[in-house]
Amino acid sequence: MTDFKVDLSSLRRQPKPASEQAIAKADAAGEAHGFVDRAPRGRPGRKKSDRTGQVHAKVLPHVSEEIANEATRRGVVQGVIIEEAWEFYKSSKL
Amino acid sequence: MPVVVIASSKGGAGKSTTAIVLGTELAHKGVPVTMLDCDPNHSLSIWAGKGRLPAGIRALSDVTESSIVKTIKQYDADGGVVIVDLEGVASRMVSRAISQADLVLIPMRATILDATIGAQSLQLIAEEEEAIDRKIAHAVVFTMTRAIRSKQQTGIEASLREGGIEIIAPPLMERAAFSALFEYGGDLHTMENKQGNQAAAIENAEAFAMAVYKRLTEALQ
Repeated sequence: MTDFKVDLSSLRRQPKPASEQAIAKADAAGEAHGFVDRAPRGRPGRKKSDRTGQVHAKVLPHVSEEIANEATRRGVVQGVIIEEAWEFYKSSKL
Repeated sequence: MPVVVIASSKGGAGKSTTAIVLGTELAHKGVPVTMLDCDPNHSLSIWAGKGRLPAGIRALSDVTESSIVKTIKQYDADGGVVIVDLEGVASRMVSRAISQADLVLIPMRATILDATIGAQSLQLIAEEEEAIDRKIAHAVVFTMTRAIRSKQQTGIEASLREGGIEIIAPPLMERAAFSALFEYGGDLHTMENKQGNQAAAIENAEAFAMAVYKRLTEALQ
């Protein structure tokens, strides 16, 4: 066993520069030695869609073509058009 | 709390073991210790999750590059010690942590490879001192050493001393009890399953922690 005693009053906080400028300087010093940003980027690719339900509908060819064209024009999936049509149907029945 | 940063961009150098031995021995002597786990491998958190966390120790995990400065600042107050266990890669998180350190410990095994990679951290500290215009106390810690000193260790020590680099004495020896901390958690004093020469491991850990404490208090003056 060692005669190891500590004096908590000797453990005093020292001011250290932590401004954005100071951190940027530390970053730059690190980058010069290869200490670069390695923070994880998250999962690559498109976020998984919430649209997991599916309808099994056969429609006339010109209807399917119009739905596809409208979805393409608006930059949405065809499911969005179906959802809107369904909302319209429900509200028209009220 | 004064901040001790454990840094080496080489994996397996003994960073987490150094952090835990230092933290548990300081806490055993009554020092409040906050330990920050900044390693994606979560070595420190694995230890913290086993057994009961020793009194006086708070362990925080998932500290990231964007949160490290803020987290250190949050716990940097009088009367305790913050120990930062970094990841074993050259990353921006390392340079940010070093910028907030009162003392940087660079663990290395007594091998040429560890010494070569450890030298990167020494260069980084020198560069940061210049960039932020602040002296950053630092010292090398030899880890996993054997009772019979190797020629490599003697040579590396001489080379470091020639370069004006401080070396913490004693080194942390290769002890079964140190490895067992990750199996049983807690500290060396309360470990129920004694490992190898437990008394010698405790003596080594205490002497090491005392040396670091002395170096830290010198740096704070």
